[in-house]
Amino acid sequence: MNDYTNPWLHRLKWAYMLLIVVTLMSPVFYVMYISFNANGFGANEYDFTWEWYGLIFSDKLLMGALGWTMTLAVTTTVIGVPMALLAAKFYKRAQNKVLPVFLLLAPLFVAPDILGSALLVFFKNTNIVFVTLGDALGTGIFDGWFDLGFMTALIGLIIYTIPYSFVVILITMGRYNPEQTEAARSCGATAWQAFWDIEFPQIRAGVFSAASFTLILCFNEYTRTSLLKGGFDTFTTVLISQMLNTGMSEQSYAMSAFVSFVAIAIIGGIIITTMLRAEMLARQHREVAEPAAAN
Amino acid sequence: MTSPTGAVAPPAVEVRGLAKHYGAVVALTDVDVTIAAGEYFVLLGPSGGGKTTLLRTIGGFHRPTHGQVLLHGNDVGHLPPDKRPTAMVFQSYALFPHMNVLNNVGYGLKIAGLGKDERREKSAAALTMVGLDGYADRKPHELSGGQQQRVQLARAMVLERDILLLDEPLAALDAQLRKDMCLELKHLQHELGMTFIHVTHNQEEAMTVADRIALIADGELVEVGPAKEVYRAPRRRFTASFVGENNIFEGTVTNVEGAVVSVDVAGTNVAVDPDGQDVAVGAAVSLSIRSELVKLTTRGADIATDPGASLPATYKEAVYLGLTTSHLADIDGGGEVVSRVVEDLDEDVAQGTPVLAYWNREDLRLHTS
Repeated sequence: MNDYTNPWLHRLKWAYMLLIVVTLMSPVFYVMYISFNANGFGANEYDFTWEWYGLIFSDKLLMGALGWTMTLAVTTTVIGVPMALLAAKFYKRAQNKVLPVFLLLAPLFVAPDILGSALLVFFKNTNIVFVTLGDALGTGIFDGWFDLGFMTALIGLIIYTIPYSFVVILITMGRYNPEQTEAARSCGATAWQAFWDIEFPQIRAGVFSAASFTLILCFNEYTRTSLLKGGFDTFTTVLISQMLNTGMSEQSYAMSAFVSFVAIAIIGGIIITTMLRAEMLARQHREVAEPAAAN
Repeated sequence: MTSPTGAVAPPAVEVRGLAKHYGAVVALTDVDVTIAAGEYFVLLGPSGGGKTTLLRTIGGFHRPTHGQVLLHGNDVGHLPPDKRPTAMVFQSYALFPHMNVLNNVGYGLKIAGLGKDERREKSAAALTMVGLDGYADRKPHELSGGQQQRVQLARAMVLERDILLLDEPLAALDAQLRKDMCLELKHLQHELGMTFIHVTHNQEEAMTVADRIALIADGELVEVGPAKEVYRAPRRRFTASFVGENNIFEGTVTNVEGAVVSVDVAGTNVAVDPDGQDVAVGAAVSLSIRSELVKLTTRGADIATDPGASLPATYKEAVYLGLTTSHLADIDGGGEVVSRVVEDLDEDVAQGTPVLAYWNREDLRLHTS
């Protein structure tokens, strides 16, 4: 018996992977479990209910926070993913790749509270500069541009999510042969047509994955958002505020579980679609391994 | 070429003083070349010599550091690839994997704004031209390398541009397929009357297809000429070393007398026609002669040789190459000489036998550079 025929080694690998997944996901599963308990968190008795999920929509605080979070997440995705795509395209063409990759990944290596605080100070000072400039020009047009609020939170989230999107898109772009773009240009296509007709369909999966990832990251983010958001609340700030002050409400558990379900569904969907697509392509390759005619 | 009105038509491609630098790296140095309309022109040279850089600069994929590219007399230096009257065939096929064969071929027509029916009709005709009837619905990954290359050809030709740039188009194909495709390319070019500019490092491929060949090495245009001339009478030492199988002898000029230059090669005086080149006594020069023009005989055999057209040597070994056999001998005084023959030598020659390598004097060429 060797490594290839020993079934226990195979089972052991799967058991190990399962252990890792269970360890990582246990807290999430526990929140999901609590969210269906009619008696709430910490109760001795467990009675299954959908009640808390029904109450989510009547909780104005939660719904308001969810609305802001969604708006922030979608706006971050709409702005951040194309920026990451442009950055990845620039990186592919750059002669010296060390500097752009360092600049793009740098936000990953700065602790969130430090980056958030730095941005907070930056925006406050920038705001003072703009207000002073407006006063000097006798106009109030520059007032409030950098007041803490939606835009500052948005900039913080874009800075946070771009490195992740960049890496995801770059991985997909790695498989793209840039000579196809040149071939398209040679066929008369402009740079934009070559990108849209030829390159984008081949890196689309990476761009959509980056978009999904960005949405999920925005839902998860707390530190930078809480420092930069100003007067409104997001989903995570509400949850953490509740935990620190009054304890989470049952609806909050339900909402947390709901968001987790959605995130797992999105990521799972991407993984399953990718696997099915890979299997389909492999099957096609097998079917045409011997072309109908020689040469 | 003269137009019906009597005006001389400009060449299809004219490159003037073209240079391309990548920082400190010089990829091309002051290249001047003119390619006539309807010509099959080959850029031949070793890898990294600058031939692909020249081709891509003509196609608009590189901006030259200085110099001009004129297509049909128009300076196109400022134009991107999609605005030039050129189409390109790539070494890596560069087919669009998410499109089927028909859509690959018709992509340029779609960009040009042709309707669906017209696109389909023209694309199908182009596929017929390259022998790919019945493959329209296949995806590129369902084709072999040769088929993919033909799709690429169809995609380029359907555009009806009059200059086709081919960047090592056959490099990824096996030897037999490469030979077949060479002939097909030559026939297609002849049929269509387009200007083909073909980059290759394979001299056999170049000889098969080319009307004229340009040798490029170290970013420099070494020599340009008709294929036969480049093969039979290379002007430069590099050309002799790269094209065909040439013996190259290094020597020093000992005497110049009219049309005869005497060169000391490993202690033996060899005579050569300078062919118009200025040489002075004492100059270091190279001599070359194709291996199929050199004969070997055992020394002392009763064979009349031209005076100054032989070198004493010692027989080393025979290398059987199928159609031909190469006989190798060490020149007395240093160096090696190769004699390539179709038939075997009249006699079996043992290793170490003293031999004489000889040739017709007019077959030897002198190279001063």
